[in-house]
Amino acid sequence: MIAFKGVSYSYLPGSTILDDVSLLIGDGELVAILGENGAGKTTLVKHINGLLKPSKGTVLINGKDTRESTVASTAKSVGLVFQNPDHQLFAETVEKELSFALTNFGFSPEESQERVNWAMREFSLEGYRERPPFMLSGGERKRLALASVLCYGPSIVILDEPTTGQDSGQKDRLATLLKKLNGEGKTVIIVTHDMEFVADFIPRTVLLSGGRVLADGATAEILARKELLDRASLVPPQLIDVCWSLGVQPSLQLDEVARNVERLVGGERH
Amino acid sequence: MKVLQGFDYRRGTSIVHKMDPRAKLVYLILFSSLAVYFLSPYLLIFLFLSSVPMVALARIGGKWSQSIKGSAYFIVIIFVINFAVNLIQQLPLVDALTLSIAMSFRFVVLISIFSSYFLTTSPEDLTQSMVQLKVPYDYALTFNMAMRFVPTLSKEAQIIMDAQKSRGLEMEKGSFIQKIRNYIPVLVPLIVSSFRRAELVADAMESRAFGATKKRTSLYTLRLGDVDYAFLCIVVTSFAALLVSSLLIGFR
Repeated sequence: MIAFKGVSYSYLPGSTILDDVSLLIGDGELVAILGENGAGKTTLVKHINGLLKPSKGTVLINGKDTRESTVASTAKSVGLVFQNPDHQLFAETVEKELSFALTNFGFSPEESQERVNWAMREFSLEGYRERPPFMLSGGERKRLALASVLCYGPSIVILDEPTTGQDSGQKDRLATLLKKLNGEGKTVIIVTHDMEFVADFIPRTVLLSGGRVLADGATAEILARKELLDRASLVPPQLIDVCWSLGVQPSLQLDEVARNVERLVGGERH
Repeated sequence: MKVLQGFDYRRGTSIVHKMDPRAKLVYLILFSSLAVYFLSPYLLIFLFLSSVPMVALARIGGKWSQSIKGSAYFIVIIFVINFAVNLIQQLPLVDALTLSIAMSFRFVVLISIFSSYFLTTSPEDLTQSMVQLKVPYDYALTFNMAMRFVPTLSKEAQIIMDAQKSRGLEMEKGSFIQKIRNYIPVLVPLIVSSFRRAELVADAMESRAFGATKKRTSLYTLRLGDVDYAFLCIVVTSFAALLVSSLLIGFR
């Protein structure tokens, strides 16, 4: 359970990045955090693993105040994957990169090996075990960064912009994996600009703008509200856009949209 | 890291900001040479005070004082080391003390002079003044870019540290050797991404025809104005007066 209670945060006095944010995310939820550039998305998620402590208010992770525990102890249950993989890859080989967090958290060598193998399979990195991470392509580095956090099995997984630089095949694999992790009871939080990715499979959306929670609720409802998206400088998913243009009830389900369009033209489905 | 605040240029409209960087450079060179030459705390305090009007005119008091506060740690170290060495060399206690205080003050004076120069001089102006002083453009540009990327690097180091802490790295844990080793996961990405960026910047510059002609022209050229000449007069005269009288009296 993640609980933000009236959280405000500012780097410098006078410049507020988060402004009185209150938010509850239950165990096993799948949530997207959307918002314009500079809305405070990354600052918000850095509060979840305790990298940042609120200037005002409290953040509770499974009932524990993040102020009272170290980042390392919070990080064991909160896995945060940063936006740019180049900010974390450092080891000589892909294998060593994957085992870095495992060693830090004190996993036994056997278990580490097992988890490394799992991560390589899951993220299609099998051929690269002995390669230096820096020699991988951009997309592969991104996957390695994801794998290096997911391999230690945190119960809360946060991904900051996981889809940038990934082709649609890799995005689909990522979506499948996230759904699987979520199915196993993990809380999954995704910070993104990729509306199609969110629309496809994430039930709940938190919309941030200017450091405040603008809306929090069902993705299908929020993404269909033009005034909200405009305020957060977001472009709706194509399906919603089509519905708006045709003047039919917006929906993220293709079937439903098709039925609505049929009703509009009054014809039969061929 | 607060010391770096004192070198972070912000656009300003004061008379000091508008002055020709070459005039300020002359001040920087002459007065820091004096600071290195003088040994008496009184003279060094005088030099320090002489840098204050410039800070006040430029309205950079905040950042300037932060850079001095930030260097407090070094000042203490300089004092302690000097004092210890002087005692070992069996100087009388009073002399040892005065000399150590002077050495600490020398550092403060240098920080003050350098920070008031860098706080009021834009990197472009600095490059331009180097070029007009016949420094080859490549060197001037390299210097400029090195300065330009200091804040970028320090921001990036912070992000990398956060990323590794999120993977369970505890920087403060372990023995002395272990603590040094803890920095590897931070330094490697920092160096690698610097190289990546350098390559990117080089490509971007070449795409914009950097190095296409031997002789570069400048959009703006620096010209010494009345204020600059007046300032140079004051600087050169007071430098000469201080140096000559110090030599004549035999007190430094």
